[in-house]
Formats: sequence, structure tokens, C-alpha cells
Amino acid sequence: MNTMVKVENLSKEYRLGVIGNGSLWKDIQSWNAKLQGKPDPWTRINEESRIGRRDRFWALKDVSFEVQQGERLGIIGRNGAGKSTLLKILSQITTPTKGTVKIRGRVGSLLEVGTGFHPDLTGRENVYLNGAILGMKKGEIDRNFDEIVAFSEIEPEFIDTPVKRYSSGMYVRLAFAVAAFLSSEILIADEVLAVGDIKFQEKCIGKMRDVSENDGRTILFVSHNIGAVRQLCQTGILLEHGQIREYGDVGMVLQAYETSLRG
Amino acid sequence: MAATDNEEWDVVISAKRKRLGFDFKELRQYKDLVKLMIRREFVSVYKQTIFGPLWFVLQPLMSTFLYMFVFGNIAQMGTDGIPQPLFYFSGTMLWTFFATTLQKCSDTFVNNSGLFGKVYFPRFTMPITYMVNAFFTLCIQFAVMMIFYVYYFLNGFHFTPTWWIVATPLYIFQLALLGMGFGIMISALTTKYRDLRNLVSFGLSLLMYATPVVYPISSVPIKWKLLFQLNPVTPIIEMFRFSFFGSGNYDIKMWIYSLVVSVVVFLIGLMTFNHNEQTFIDVV
Repeated sequence: MNTMVKVENLSKEYRLGVIGNGSLWKDIQSWNAKLQGKPDPWTRINEESRIGRRDRFWALKDVSFEVQQGERLGIIGRNGAGKSTLLKILSQITTPTKGTVKIRGRVGSLLEVGTGFHPDLTGRENVYLNGAILGMKKGEIDRNFDEIVAFSEIEPEFIDTPVKRYSSGMYVRLAFAVAAFLSSEILIADEVLAVGDIKFQEKCIGKMRDVSENDGRTILFVSHNIGAVRQLCQTGILLEHGQIREYGDVGMVLQAYETSLRG
Repeated sequence: MAATDNEEWDVVISAKRKRLGFDFKELRQYKDLVKLMIRREFVSVYKQTIFGPLWFVLQPLMSTFLYMFVFGNIAQMGTDGIPQPLFYFSGTMLWTFFATTLQKCSDTFVNNSGLFGKVYFPRFTMPITYMVNAFFTLCIQFAVMMIFYVYYFLNGFHFTPTWWIVATPLYIFQLALLGMGFGIMISALTTKYRDLRNLVSFGLSLLMYATPVVYPISSVPIKWKLLFQLNPVTPIIEMFRFSFFGSGNYDIKMWIYSLVVSVVVFLIGLMTFNHNEQTFIDVV
């Protein structure tokens, strides 16, 4: 078994409140005051300093786990538990404050369906554009194009129409279909299944199981949909206030989550 | 946890920021994306317009007519003996290339925050896309300028183009470096200070008048000349006109100065951009 993702002591800190003052002029005034040893003119009343200990907040704290090849890991937790921050770090969108992530192979991240879709471009053009944004080569898209269209259940005569004329269902189906044909070794998906009708959602989950079981692809899946997580994943992580509360078999983790929701 | 442990991994993400090294190999892997982005930008400009790509030519033509009227006829400014349409058109065309590249690049993070916040790809794709698009526009406009050029030539106007004409790609490349360099430098700052965006558009329209676009450098009083030539765009436009029309200011020293400035500005821009691309999403 190959370890595909290794997360060690990952922490991410955010500063609360306003970063800087929002305008260059105010920052220059603050900076000038500091140089002259005067108090910052933009400090709020009864506040020690703008960058105090209190306005720091750990979105993730000391998170460590490993994902093996072919494993399907579900990440659950309530709003603000740090799920999206974790995925953003894994997708290289933002950097951690502490700790490291080591990854083997390519990462395809689906934090949103249809990233980079341009309403004025046709379905065909958007498939290529979106595919390229997700890291596919033109040749790969050429080879899979017919399958992508078939998967999206869009009638071939619509494919050369600008996507702004599509129904919202068609739009997301096409967008998801592109992602379904990503050939990266690791797939990261965040709530993308909250789109489309139940039938299409099941089809997507089926497709993800399929690529994981047949091609040994690794999947990290974040969702609030307990049913979908149970259906797809083998292992799970329950995040709470940026820390791992439960880690292991998906059934056990989901149970812990349900208890925490009631409590 | 020795170094050997790290070698097996394809990607290692940690708190460290990369500063200097620029990953050109990674960018090359995304060349299909660059091509598609260029197309996306190009199409989005003229979709659902009546004149379509014709706008790329109409804009500088209209500016040229306006400048001929205001600066040529009312203000009676000279053009170093170059026919007015050619003089103004060549200036506007080059200036627009520089200014568009700079302005678009400076908005890289703000305009693409939606995209950048959802998926990772080398952020530098976007400045390249903007520059190449501005370059396409420039090519179309250059073709129009050559039509004027041939027209005047056939009507007995004697240009004396010089061998410097072969350096034209270099002039364009220089403008691209300057526009991108300043643009990406500012882009890093606009994520935090949005007021800079206003300053950029306003500053560029002012800077145009500090650049010999609507007047030749020869009409600038001697005591101000050096100051005007410190503007790195000035020698490029002057050299371009000198190459094609054989008249105007030919100052090789100033041109080399501007060449050095272009490269330095671009490298500094690349460094600040690189430094910021990893953390901007928490700020923007």
C-alpha cells in the first residue's frame, strides 16, 4: 500500500477583524505614528494594539492523518470546523501556518463545480477551458470528449451553444462531467454533489466509487450529506473546532457526528 | 524525517514561502491552459458586439483623428515631419499595448479571486494571457499602420526607414516586460489596498502625456528633456518612430537605459508576484 497523502501537524491561523486598515493612506499614518513612537491613530478605543493575541484564530490545529492509495476518505464536521480550510491547503490555494502536507501524484481539486466557466463560450469550449484549469492536457480532453458529453446527458446539438443559454441543471451536469474525467491520482471534492437531481447525484457517487475501485484513485470527500459519505467512503475524519475529534472507520465517525449534532 | 523522505513526494506543502525561484517548468505544463485563457479573454471582449474584432482597430483610429484635430490643428504641435495620422497612430498603438498590459496585469488577483480561490494553477498564467491578448491587438493595429505607411509611400512621401527596423520585436518585447513588470508589482499591492486601482487608471492617463505619444520629444524644452527620457517608455516610442520613419530622436544611450529598466522592473515584479501568490487569498 502506498501512502498518497501525509498530513503532519497541520495548523492554519487566521487574523480576525480587519487586515491592515483597508486603505494605503491609513496604513501609512499608522506606520508613521509607530516610527515616531506615538500611539496608532487608528487604534480603536479601549484596545491595546491592533494585532493582539486575542484576534488570532486557529482554523486548523495540529491535524495529522494519512491516506492510502485507493482509499476514500470522508471529512465531516459542522460549519466552521475547518473542512474547507483543510481542502484549500491540500489544493495549494492557501499555505498552512505550521506543519506539512506531502502528496504523491497529481491532485485534482473540485471545490466548486464549473470553475472558470465563461457564459459566452459554448459548451464545447467550456469543457476544454474547465478541463485545462483542472490540470488536464488538451489531448486528454480530446480523447474523453464524447464520454464527457454522454455523461453530462446533454443532447449533442446543445454542445455548441453558449452555456448562458443552458438550464442550470445542464450547466452543472456538464461541469461535473468534466471533473469526472480528471485523471489525477488524487481527487479532492467539496460539497460538489449538492447540485443536480438525486439521480445525477447517485450517478456521480457511482462514478467516484468506480474510479477509486478500478483505477486505484484516492478520494478526499467533504460533505454534509451523511448518506453520500456513508455510500462513498470507507474511512472518515470528524473535525471539530479545527481539531480531529474522531478518525477511523466511516461508520464509527458518522455515529460520533450524529451524536455531536444532537448534543 | 531525513531529506531522502522528502524526495519520494511530488508535492510538499509547508509554511515556507518561495521567494526567488520561478517555476517555468510548471508553467510549461499548463501551456494548453494559457492558450484557452487567451481565447477566452479575446472572445469575451467582442461577443455580442456589432463590429466585433473591428473594435480593435476603430479605437486607435478614433483617437488618431481626435489627436490630429486637437494637437495637430488646434495646438499646432509638430510631428518631426512624419505624416500626422502615422505619427499619432503609431504612438497610440504602442502606448495602448503598454497601458492595457499594465492595467490588466495589475488587476490579476482582484479579478480572478473567484477562480484562484477554488483551484490551483500557476497564477502567472493570467498576466501572460493579458499580455498576449494586448499583443494580438497590437498586431492587428500594426497591420493597419502598415496600410497607412504604404499609402503614403505610394503617394510620394519619402520615408527613410533605418536598419533599426529589425529591432522592432525587441521594442515590443520591452514594452511587454515593462507593462507586465509594473502590472504584477501593483497587483500584489491591490489585493490589500484597493485604492491603488483608481490610481492606476488615473495615473496611466496622466503618464501618457509625459510620454511622447501626441508630441515628439524634440518639441520638449532642453532643460526638461532628460526628465522626460527617464520615463522608460519614451525611448522605446522614439526608437520605433526613428526606425520606421527615419526622423525623430535617436538616442542609443537612453534606449539601453530603458532596456535595463525593463528587465529589472520585470524581475522585481516577478519576485513580488511570486511572493504574494501564495497568501493573497487570505487577504483579498
